[in-house]
Amino acid sequence: MSINDATVAVTEELATRDDMIICEGVDKWYGDFQALKGVSATIKEREVVVVLGPSGSGKSTWIRCINRLEQHQSGRIIVDGVELTNDTRNIEKIRSEVGMVFQQFNLFPHLTVRDNITLAPIWVRKKPRGEAEALATQLLERVGIPEQADKFPGQLSGGQQQRVAIARALAMEPRVMLFDEPTSALDPEMIKEVLDVMKDLARGGMTMIVVTHEMGFAREVADRIIFMESGEIVETGTPEHFFTSPEEDRTKLFLSQIL
Amino acid sequence: MESTPLDTQTTVESDVATRPEEASLPPLEWMQRNLFGGGQGSVGAVARSTSLTVVFTLLGLFAYQQLLNFIFSEETNWNSVRVNLRLLFTQAYPESDYHRIWVSLGLVLVLSGVGLGLMKVGRGISMKKIATWCVGWGVLVVLGVFLRQPSVLVGDDGTPLLADADGVALARDGLGALVYLDGSPAPSQGLSVVRESYGDAISSRSGWLLIGLVLIGIAAAIWFGFGDKRRRSTFLPAIPLSIAGIGALISTTWWYNWGNYTFSTDEETGVSGFNFEPSVKVAETTRNPWTIMFVVLVVAYVLGRRLRGRAFEQHFRGLLILGWFLAPFVTFFAILRGPEFDWAYVAAVDLPLWLAFGIGGAALMWALTKPGIGEVGRVLAVLVLAIAAFTWIAAFFGWFGMLQKVRLSFLLLGLTALLAPNFIGEARQRLTLVYVWTGTITIFHVMATIINTPSSIEVPTEDFAGGFMVSIYVTVFTLLFSFPLGVLLALARTSRLPIFRLLATVYIEAFRGVPLITMLFFFTVFVNLFLPEGMELALLAAVTIAFVLFSAAYLAENVRGGLQAVRRGQYEASDALGLTTVQRTGFIVLPQGLRVSIPPLVGQAIATYKETSLLAIVGVFDFLRMARDIIPNQPEFLGERKPALLFICVIYFVGAYAMSKYSQRLEKNLGVGER
Ligand SMILES: Nc1ncnc2c1ncn2[C@@H]1O[C@H](COP(=O)(O)OP(=O)(O)OP(=O)(O)O)[C@@H](O)[C@H]1O
Ligand SMILES: [Mg+2]
Repeated sequence: MSINDATVAVTEELATRDDMIICEGVDKWYGDFQALKGVSATIKEREVVVVLGPSGSGKSTWIRCINRLEQHQSGRIIVDGVELTNDTRNIEKIRSEVGMVFQQFNLFPHLTVRDNITLAPIWVRKKPRGEAEALATQLLERVGIPEQADKFPGQLSGGQQQRVAIARALAMEPRVMLFDEPTSALDPEMIKEVLDVMKDLARGGMTMIVVTHEMGFAREVADRIIFMESGEIVETGTPEHFFTSPEEDRTKLFLSQIL
Repeated sequence: MESTPLDTQTTVESDVATRPEEASLPPLEWMQRNLFGGGQGSVGAVARSTSLTVVFTLLGLFAYQQLLNFIFSEETNWNSVRVNLRLLFTQAYPESDYHRIWVSLGLVLVLSGVGLGLMKVGRGISMKKIATWCVGWGVLVVLGVFLRQPSVLVGDDGTPLLADADGVALARDGLGALVYLDGSPAPSQGLSVVRESYGDAISSRSGWLLIGLVLIGIAAAIWFGFGDKRRRSTFLPAIPLSIAGIGALISTTWWYNWGNYTFSTDEETGVSGFNFEPSVKVAETTRNPWTIMFVVLVVAYVLGRRLRGRAFEQHFRGLLILGWFLAPFVTFFAILRGPEFDWAYVAAVDLPLWLAFGIGGAALMWALTKPGIGEVGRVLAVLVLAIAAFTWIAAFFGWFGMLQKVRLSFLLLGLTALLAPNFIGEARQRLTLVYVWTGTITIFHVMATIINTPSSIEVPTEDFAGGFMVSIYVTVFTLLFSFPLGVLLALARTSRLPIFRLLATVYIEAFRGVPLITMLFFFTVFVNLFLPEGMELALLAAVTIAFVLFSAAYLAENVRGGLQAVRRGQYEASDALGLTTVQRTGFIVLPQGLRVSIPPLVGQAIATYKETSLLAIVGVFDFLRMARDIIPNQPEFLGERKPALLFICVIYFVGAYAMSKYSQRLEKNLGVGER
């Protein structure tokens, strides 16, 4: 595979960083259906990767394998030096280091915003309650909704809920954040407020894998774009390379359909 | 890091502008709309709804009239209920120990009062509702005054006066035979009782009429004195209002002549009998305790209100819940047992055992929660459980003798040890588990010691006092134990592990496939066969276990319904945050699942409460049995069933209705923040 100069430059800089996530030949079957076919990729520290691909291409399946919401059948997944196996201690460790944001927010409706955020730090990270609450306040400020702490999720708008979900994931002080179409369930006017928070996070040096259909976000923020189809990684490259001179036909077809 | 722009525009403010409400309809229009099909639609439709309304109104009035006729009939002997109130509620609980019952009731009232005081105050009762309520009862009373048949007249000997078919009065001669007033013999056919004239009847009920009219008057005053808006928006606080109502009722014992009806035994002669004294004040032994109970309730309520909003309110609520949890046990022991301790034995056996388990267990918990203990902890916990299991197996085969208390203590120790991994961490966390353990084992040992000690209280049946009290206790204990069991079963049935699923399914289907009454008989006969040697269950304990197991199976299905309503995303979010399975279940899945299942759960609780009346059939002296078997067999009231049966109907209804109301309130309170 030939790569253009810009990609070479970026790749060289990245090569000096530590590997955060390593996937090697990851296979995933649902019954007889193979959803992931030998997916291999390495994500470096502080790298922002956007995953693109048509519906059903296995994007969600892949990132859900990274924190064991789905179990892969063969291949290796190593997160921050810890390999995902059936050992529950490794799973627990990885889950507390990998934050995840879902398309449907999945906030806990019976807990206030503050309790949503402090639950895991208190019970998983064993933080004293006062400390966890101070952290929650700080995070809510960071995502721009400090005044909503005592409300229940059902009383917030979609955009606010998604920002709470981001704050909840950040409260675990994760080293990696996974986003699975975080803006797809939002009305257009709320998308920006969530993307702003994510951009902010990227600038702050968080390692991120983002599945999204927001091309503007991909172009502006991504260090690298991974294009998937039918459970395979078809093409990888910088946004510039990807949007201006894609090599694979399938990528071109995909881009012609969405742009 | 710069923060993203604030975006308060999209804040969803909770209803800033209140919804414009429909104005209340004037009474005539209301009737037209609600009773006669609203005057809309075709003539046929109106005629149909009107005739339905008329038919059902007539039926209702007829039933009401018959009920009143029965309640107020001279032939209905309410003395059978009045005299037997104590019997109905507590069976023949010894008079000299009655203070135990009052103390227990007082304890429950303290908990209730404080709880009510701490409760989130709703809007209260609107004046409109009070007006509706007054008018409803007022109309009912006035209707009753006019509907009830005139009373039967009675002669000096207390028997009803009779008349022949033409209405000519009859009397009884010296031999008791029926004759005309002039002495000629009366016919034996076509006789009827003589009733007072309708006018006399109404005037003799003028007191009732006045009450009804006053109620309607109050309603009218509220309706017309307040405008439509104020009627809706003026609220009276519900709880103080109810307490005031109870107070008013209790105050009548001080000034109204309810009459004094007792069953008593003459100390000197040893003869016992019923005393009927109408038109005097109730006995002091009724009035004084109830007055004290009321004061206790009020004081507790005021205390609760004072505590609201204090910094330590949360802790206090926790304490209150613990109190409610312990109250059934504490009161049960207080009522049933006046232990006569053999102090030497207590010092030689009970105390050392408690110390051994308390200190040893505390040390074990401390060790098991050491950070980095890892697998060793789990192995140790399982080991303790294995020891416990072994002591039980040994008991079945009679290998070696051992105090039952020790076996149970080992079991508790093993179960608590299993919790240990959740408390690994700093000293504070580790100490929590140590406290939990010492608390549990202390409570258990105190109770076990009391239960193993002979009691000085002599109750007529070996089990427990009977009557309504036994119904209440069986209900409470059943709910207390079947609820956790049901939740566990539901979790097992939805578990990922097939063995749990299988066991839970078999259990649930087995218990749901057998009628409760069959199970009660089964348990009274068979349960002792399943117990280790030397251990025997009293009848009441056996049936309570049957109730627990039965009710748990139903609760499990209700809870399972709720658990299934919890969305997948909730599990995924919990997992992604790194919560353990136990934490996920306890903090996320159960709170959401149980909330959904509140209505069926309360339905099950009410069903259990009513089903306790089946106890009568398996030989427990419960509420129903008192009314159906015991009272009608008293020489004074031979065959007198109806009054007591009607009475227990009312009491059962009040209890069930209260539970149902409470659940509505609970649903509303918990509904906050639901999607
Ligand atoms: N639980 C499951 N059982 C069976 N098949 C599944 C399951 N989850 C996903 N699949 C299949 O796996 C494939 C990949 O699904 P995935 O959700 O990863 O796609 P995606 O790229 O995220 O698509 P989208 O953009 O629509 O979210 C799809 O064909 C889907 O039908
Ligand atoms: Mg997807």
